[in-house]
Amino acid sequence: MKIVASYNVKGGVGKTSTAVNLAYLSAADGRRTLLWDLDPQGAATFLFRIKPRVKGGSAKLVSGTRPIEAGLKGTDYPRLDLLPADFTYRNMDIDLAHSKKLTLGTLLDGLADEYDVVFLDTPPSLSLVSENVLRAADVVLVPIIPTVLAVRTYDQLTDFVASFNGHHPTLHAFFSMTDRRKSLHRSVLTDLPQQRTGISPTAIPAASLIEQMTVRREPVPVYAPHSTATKAYRSLWTELSDLLG
Amino acid sequence: MLAALEPAAHRYRFQQGARRRSSVTYLDTVDRRLRKKGLSLRYESDSDSEVLVASAPDGIDTTELGEAPVWPALAEQLPAGSVADRVGPAMWVRAVAPVVETEVVSREITARNEDDKIVARLHWQEATANGSPTLARVSLDPLRGYAADAERIARLLADSGEFVVPERSLAEVWLRHAADDEVERRPTITAGMRADVAVATALLGFLDAIERNVAGTIDDVDTEFLHDLRVAVRRSRSVLKLTGDALPERLVARGARELKWLGDATTPTRDLDVYLLELDELATRLTVGTRADLDDFATHLHWERTVARRSLVRALQSKRFERWCESWRQSLTEIVSSGGSEQSGSVEELARDRVRVAYKRVLKRANAITPDCPGERVHSLRKRAKELRYLLEMFAPVCDRKPHRAVVKNLKRVQDILGAVQDGEVQSASLRVFAERMLDRRSASAATLLAMGELSAGFAGEQRQARDELTDALPGFLGSSVHKRVTAMLP
Ligand SMILES: Nc1ncnc2c1ncn2[C@@H]1O[C@H](COP(=O)(O)OP(=O)(O)OP(=O)(O)O)[C@@H](O)[C@H]1O
Ligand SMILES: [Mg+2]
Repeated sequence: MKIVASYNVKGGVGKTSTAVNLAYLSAADGRRTLLWDLDPQGAATFLFRIKPRVKGGSAKLVSGTRPIEAGLKGTDYPRLDLLPADFTYRNMDIDLAHSKKLTLGTLLDGLADEYDVVFLDTPPSLSLVSENVLRAADVVLVPIIPTVLAVRTYDQLTDFVASFNGHHPTLHAFFSMTDRRKSLHRSVLTDLPQQRTGISPTAIPAASLIEQMTVRREPVPVYAPHSTATKAYRSLWTELSDLLG
Repeated sequence: MLAALEPAAHRYRFQQGARRRSSVTYLDTVDRRLRKKGLSLRYESDSDSEVLVASAPDGIDTTELGEAPVWPALAEQLPAGSVADRVGPAMWVRAVAPVVETEVVSREITARNEDDKIVARLHWQEATANGSPTLARVSLDPLRGYAADAERIARLLADSGEFVVPERSLAEVWLRHAADDEVERRPTITAGMRADVAVATALLGFLDAIERNVAGTIDDVDTEFLHDLRVAVRRSRSVLKLTGDALPERLVARGARELKWLGDATTPTRDLDVYLLELDELATRLTVGTRADLDDFATHLHWERTVARRSLVRALQSKRFERWCESWRQSLTEIVSSGGSEQSGSVEELARDRVRVAYKRVLKRANAITPDCPGERVHSLRKRAKELRYLLEMFAPVCDRKPHRAVVKNLKRVQDILGAVQDGEVQSASLRVFAERMLDRRSASAATLLAMGELSAGFAGEQRQARDELTDALPGFLGSSVHKRVTAMLP
């Protein structure tokens, strides 16, 4: 079982859109896939039309007193399940600090027989939860909006991950919401991949089709299978799939 | 369809998917091994997929197929996968073939909640098997985490009175239909019968078994057809030998001659079958040689088998065999329907007399067995034991059940050991013959001959061991308790 996190300390960069669409493509590709919506706001949960509620909440889940399996929900798509968000996830930092032994990684170990890939959609923050996520992940997808500041946050993330003892996740950054009409976007898009490693050649363009997800409440490939947006997500999935082996 | 779901429509929105047509073929071995073990095997095909499905009480296995399978198929001929793993051991050396072919029209209906989220899927199936009335089945698959919704839908539909929980799965319904068609009203020996009628009845039963296995033997469906055919021939011959005097002499003489001819025609192929079936197991006993060393031997066995089968098939398709079967059946049926001859005694008298004699013969031969006595003595004991066994089976309906079962069980144990002694001897001797023939045909490598030599030595060792076991086991069978049981069992 491989763990993929969709993470960026910044908000509104496309973490949830990426997690939802790639989890969908992973399942469509035949992998038994789980998406855990760790964001108390529950955007991913909403996109799958599932109620943002987990019995027992964060405390029971994180302490291991309530099995993770009990909270799982089937999505409308084959091989794709969701562990919904819950409002109590906003206390997950504290719950994790209390349960000294358990980490998100060890909690997920119990699902190793059931899933081939687990996606983690994270809230935008640097917290104990996100540190747990980064430590558990095999691959971290990092959506970056092509600005100079965004590049600096990526560098900070690279340094942070490099400071881990033992296991290091593979960072896989890609440009999100790119707009070729903006000259800044154009220059960052060409310059950065030459200066940094781990940057994907695939960019997810800014597209109203993608924005429509929140209205349609379906992954993009479901309602626009032949669109440029879907093609971009597919090529990102192919790269990720190779990284997962 | 959707109208029938109306009772749940105020809570859920139902949406109908496309119709799918598929054909579903249920398979089993000729002796219905899968069904007896609670398994069912089916082959489903539609325009875009072909799958094999095995269902057992504890779960379902599915194997997707790349190409249409060929039936009948032995376990090792099934496409590799979880289905073959599941049904293979239950099939043993038997082949599966179609039992019932059905046509299924199915439709998936999704049930959505107030968020328009799918919470359950209903599978609506309508199935027919040539000419039978259509059977409809609706199954409800809850989505993970939505069991409560599925339960609610089930309750709403059940309360409407339009749906009932079926007693049996489709597989069970179809296979049961097929089984009903197959029940043969085979005549059996009953108390109070005249002896000649009883003997003719038993022989008719064996003739049925012979004829039932002819087609499968000719088509080489699996090796058990020939085996079962031979068992029926052997039983017939024993019955003629031990109780034939109850029937007209000329009839018995011809029957004995033709049955011997038939038996002889089947022996070479069966011997080769036994070798081929055991080859992998034999290979595991090699300590110096390897399985690959036996490849030439396997090739040779296959070649000999092809030759042997040619004459076997010729015999089974001959006018001689056909005519004999016809007249044999006719003569036996006449005896049964005439109610038997006035001079004939009762089946009970016959059973008492013949079982006692056969039992005494076994005892006499058994007493002559010592660890070092000549092999012929063991051979003769084995033959007598077989005869006794056939008599016990034939007269079972007029014997007292409990002691009868105990005697058979006891005898079976002795027979198993006797079988081991003799098989070892026969196999070791025939290995020598095979080796010579392979040399004649220049189809043997030195490694193969060495490996065969190793096997031969193994057989000899086993035979030795089996003889010791035999000497140990015989007193148990000869004891007074068995004698008492034999007496108690007889009518
Ligand atoms: N490529 C895109 N083109 C246009 N709109 C997009 C694109 N990607 C995401 N969006 C929209 O931008 C908004 C934020 O995206 P998303 O929720 O995926 O980001 P996020 O990083 O998960 O945000 P948060 O930090 O709030 O969790 C959403 O309304 C989404 O529909
Ligand atoms: Mg988000």
